[in-house]
Amino acid sequence: MRNYEIMFIVSPNAVDEDIDKINGQIEGVVTAGGGKAEKIEKLGKRRLAYLVNKFREGSYVLFTIQADGAIVREIERRLRVMDLVIKYLTVRMDDDMKRLDKIKAHRQKRAARRGRAHAESGERRAAPSPVEQMPEE
Amino acid sequence: MAIQKQYYRRKKVCKFCVERIDNISYKDVKLLSQFVPERSKIMPRRISGVCTPHQRRLSDAIKKARNIALLPFATE
Repeated sequence: MRNYEIMFIVSPNAVDEDIDKINGQIEGVVTAGGGKAEKIEKLGKRRLAYLVNKFREGSYVLFTIQADGAIVREIERRLRVMDLVIKYLTVRMDDDMKRLDKIKAHRQKRAARRGRAHAESGERRAAPSPVEQMPEE
Repeated sequence: MAIQKQYYRRKKVCKFCVERIDNISYKDVKLLSQFVPERSKIMPRRISGVCTPHQRRLSDAIKKARNIALLPFATE
């Protein structure tokens, strides 16, 4: 199982119920394939940066899912077929997430070490060495 | 000793390193648009000062954002 983000744009002519219907369908595909839809976010209507199918704006929807390749393939096939969906993008997230966790852990470890170093230097300052008493210049 | 330059050029620093932004997401249009000037080309490192690893992730994110129409490919 891998983490994916699927973002797609629904045509501006679609009403809210249409979007809900599409979301329901896709969620069905995910759960039927043994995956999990973690988050479904409607990002609302936005101006597109360029014309897509002669539309200037569209409603963005973001899915965060746990799935495997077969499910993603099926979702993409369906999105391609739907007339209301004008564009979609699938991004694999798990590599990125792993990298971020690593950075976070590394940072925490360093912060902890630095905290300890600070405490030690504080003790040393209590008994100042002659070098530290020398004027800066 | 090096010859003193006539004007002082400030050393550029990588925004992502300084502000500790690890995750450069394609959804963050506000952040990405700082690195696409008017013609919506990706700003080169020599101008923005972004370090190589971050520039690589940044350009990937910008390209993804272009794909989903969050950022333009080109503007006249």
